[in-house]
Amino acid sequence: MASIVIAEDEFLIADVLAIMLEEAGHEVSTAAHGRAALAIIKGKAPDLVITDFMMPLMTGLELAQALRGDAELQQIPIILVSGAQGAIGRAHPDVFDAVLDKPYNEKTLLATVERLLQQIGKAS
Amino acid sequence: MTHELPRLASGIRGLDTVLGGGLVEGACYIVQGQPGAGKTILSNQIAFATAADGRKVLYITLLAETHERLFQALDTLDFFDRSQLGVTISYVSVFQTLRDEGLSAVVSLIRQEIARQGATLLVFDGLLNARDRADTDLDVKTFVAEVQSQAAFAGCTVLFLTSTRVAEDNPEHTMVDGVIELHNEMVGVRAIRRLQVKKSRGSAALAGYHQFEITSTGFSVYPRIEAIPSLAAAGDGVTSEITSSGTPGLDDILGGGLPAHSVTLVFGPSGSGKTSLALNFLNAASAEAPALHFGFYETPARLLNKARALGLDLDRKVASGALEISWTPMTENMNDKLAHQLLDAVRARSVKRLVIDGLGGFERAAVHRPRLVEFFAALTNELRAMGVTAIATWEFRDLFGPTVSAPGSEISSLLDNLIMMRQVEINSRYKRTLSVLKMRDLAFEPIIHEVEFGSTGLAIASPLQAVSGAATGIATLSDGTSFPGKG
Repeated sequence: MASIVIAEDEFLIADVLAIMLEEAGHEVSTAAHGRAALAIIKGKAPDLVITDFMMPLMTGLELAQALRGDAELQQIPIILVSGAQGAIGRAHPDVFDAVLDKPYNEKTLLATVERLLQQIGKAS
Repeated sequence: MTHELPRLASGIRGLDTVLGGGLVEGACYIVQGQPGAGKTILSNQIAFATAADGRKVLYITLLAETHERLFQALDTLDFFDRSQLGVTISYVSVFQTLRDEGLSAVVSLIRQEIARQGATLLVFDGLLNARDRADTDLDVKTFVAEVQSQAAFAGCTVLFLTSTRVAEDNPEHTMVDGVIELHNEMVGVRAIRRLQVKKSRGSAALAGYHQFEITSTGFSVYPRIEAIPSLAAAGDGVTSEITSSGTPGLDDILGGGLPAHSVTLVFGPSGSGKTSLALNFLNAASAEAPALHFGFYETPARLLNKARALGLDLDRKVASGALEISWTPMTENMNDKLAHQLLDAVRARSVKRLVIDGLGGFERAAVHRPRLVEFFAALTNELRAMGVTAIATWEFRDLFGPTVSAPGSEISSLLDNLIMMRQVEINSRYKRTLSVLKMRDLAFEPIIHEVEFGSTGLAIASPLQAVSGAATGIATLSDGTSFPGKG
């Protein structure tokens, strides 16, 4: 079991993602925008972060850059899940460990999560 | 002193005209209409036009539908540009913020986002959901007022989208600067889309309904032409110049030719020679006096074929650019769209010789027939003011008969000149005739003439032999003897 934080403003996507990951045995927290996610991450130091790109107050890119700039949080793997900004995400391989395009496939997402968790020795 | 408010161009054809110059910068609008009326396409098209203009847009939704689904739908439209998403236009959802923290948290979030993005335009889709979340009307009023004042402070224009009809005495309605209502309704068997600017503070919008359509290029609004402040106000185009009709013999009967900058109605039954007369008129086109054939019946190929058969070389005129043939099939048309197409085509090539074949194409397209008089008045005034000499045709329903119906007495009186063409039965033979019934400012010959087809098209021959009843198509010899078989 890993601890995962999801940053996603669209509640339908956030809900589906949370259910999918909880069923895979993880503990999930969701935040409606990047700034709220950053606050949760600072408190929890989760194993993995999944973020959308376009969100109010703080974009997924800004959130990821904030984490990479934080000595205590910079090692957390980050997955960008985006409809339109996949290319922007891929242009920043230094901040994102994986980029998935929306609409994504459940298997692909879970496999990506497992792969990244394995790399940090947290695989289920 | 009048003061012009700064405007934001909507990027939607015709909408800025209806709005009296575009959206007022920093103003707040409600865009309302039933689901499917086109609110989302309208607002997204404005958003992309604003972004293309180098400005930032914030698109906030309170809807359950995901943004990806919205993008998939918008992807079928030409204005949509994925590369702008998250760059110049940000789509964010505040549903969770509303659900978890309430309206005031949404207001705070919007305020921060406008500043963060440097947004010039804010679209807020889902005002209805905000109303559902509000405990009282006062809460909604406060919400709208707060968003409005914060946006105005930042110089940001706001569009609130809602699928409910916000009644005129609703607080939102009284507060906002403008209300744009979209309708999608049935008239007989056809669906009509129309737009109405119900409120427009600080600018003179064109009142009433204006038809619009949504195609792959997006939204196009066709302002009712009689509602548009006209060119014609600058001058009615009156001149003493004469334009040749192009038909041998006709200019003499007309009193010299067609008065320049006038509209002539050529009416008669099918087969009487109206189109041939029009082709002669077009054949006189030149680089200095370009011509346009705006028709509903024949395709350009058929029309050119007909001209060839008459010995007229219109192909050469088309090739040189002196003549344009524009054909609109008589299917489901919108008369304001047709009128704008016609006026645009005239403007684009500074057309001097115009044939409208025929006015019935406009009449058939009319959803609300009582306005046809005003419609034709605006159209013909505009054409005269643009210096166009026009021939319009009108087809009689009956080939022969005692009643001769011009297109409504009021419409006929809007036209400068009237020419009637008929097939007349005399002694078991048909003769084509032409008579001039009315000419503006010219002394014409009030004599029925015979029409013949010469080597280069239709020509006017000698006066018709003395008969009575020629105008009905069934003539009686004037010496009192009726022709065989009758009486």
